[in-house]
Amino acid sequence: MTAPDKMNAARAFFFRAFRQAGVLLLAALIPALLAGAFHPRRPSWSRDQTMIPEVAWSTVREWPGLRLLVDARSEEAFRRQHIPGALPLSEVQWEERLPAFIKAWQPGARVAVYCDNAGCQASQAVARRLRRELGINDVFVLKGGWGAWLEAQK
Amino acid sequence: MITSAGRIVLAAVFLYAGGLKALDPAGFALSIDNYRLLPYPAAAALALYLPWLELGCGLAVLWLRIRPGALVVLLGLGLVFSGVIASAWLRSLDIGCGCFGGDAHGRSALAVSLVRSVFLVLLCGWLLGREWEQHSADGAGRSG
Repeated sequence: MTAPDKMNAARAFFFRAFRQAGVLLLAALIPALLAGAFHPRRPSWSRDQTMIPEVAWSTVREWPGLRLLVDARSEEAFRRQHIPGALPLSEVQWEERLPAFIKAWQPGARVAVYCDNAGCQASQAVARRLRRELGINDVFVLKGGWGAWLEAQK
Repeated sequence: MITSAGRIVLAAVFLYAGGLKALDPAGFALSIDNYRLLPYPAAAALALYLPWLELGCGLAVLWLRIRPGALVVLLGLGLVFSGVIASAWLRSLDIGCGCFGGDAHGRSALAVSLVRSVFLVLLCGWLLGREWEQHSADGAGRSG
């Protein structure tokens, strides 16, 4: 192939590739729109409605009945320090740690999940999984996480 | 043989990732929102759209007729994902990648996700190059 032929062939190849890419980009819109309308776990358009509600430590402390605290941080962080009585349950060690949580949980128990601080997201992820996979509705995220609990002890 | 293996690996990764995220778009929306790059409604829209794009392109990689287009899309997605993960790592965000559902959180986890994402970009680029070589060879064969 001469150099001009190669240039033309390259142009044709990439033009075809980008046209195919356009088709794929458009085709994905169809199931996406259907998911937006009918998916049982579709996101709401407001962040607050999608997130698990947060509760302050002062509220959690006053919960009547069985109260379960779940530490969503790493194993290492849990071993260093954790809220007394908390159960470790992170997404990374979900299968390993879930049985202990299930054993401790009873109907009517309220669950508060925490991670490091207000900026971390592990607690939201773990709380969502508890609600979704175990069907437990009384799951909340501890506002401010471990940092807020430490402050409250001063 | 190596090229076929590369296509299968790429397809498997995106089919798995897309499938997991398609099952829980609400969770994926929060994962996107964690990066703090987009307003939440945009994150929610992407959470509904991206999994299906990944699934469609994952399948298309295995289909000769539309493979170059799929590789172009996946290469673009990989570059965007790599940039987004890198920005989160640089800002020391304590978040998970959101790539495969239950990811670990934190800077080291993001670093692992970034390496994985860059590997996928390189794989896409290499496979696209192989498609071009095949196209050139077919063209030379026809004109020769």
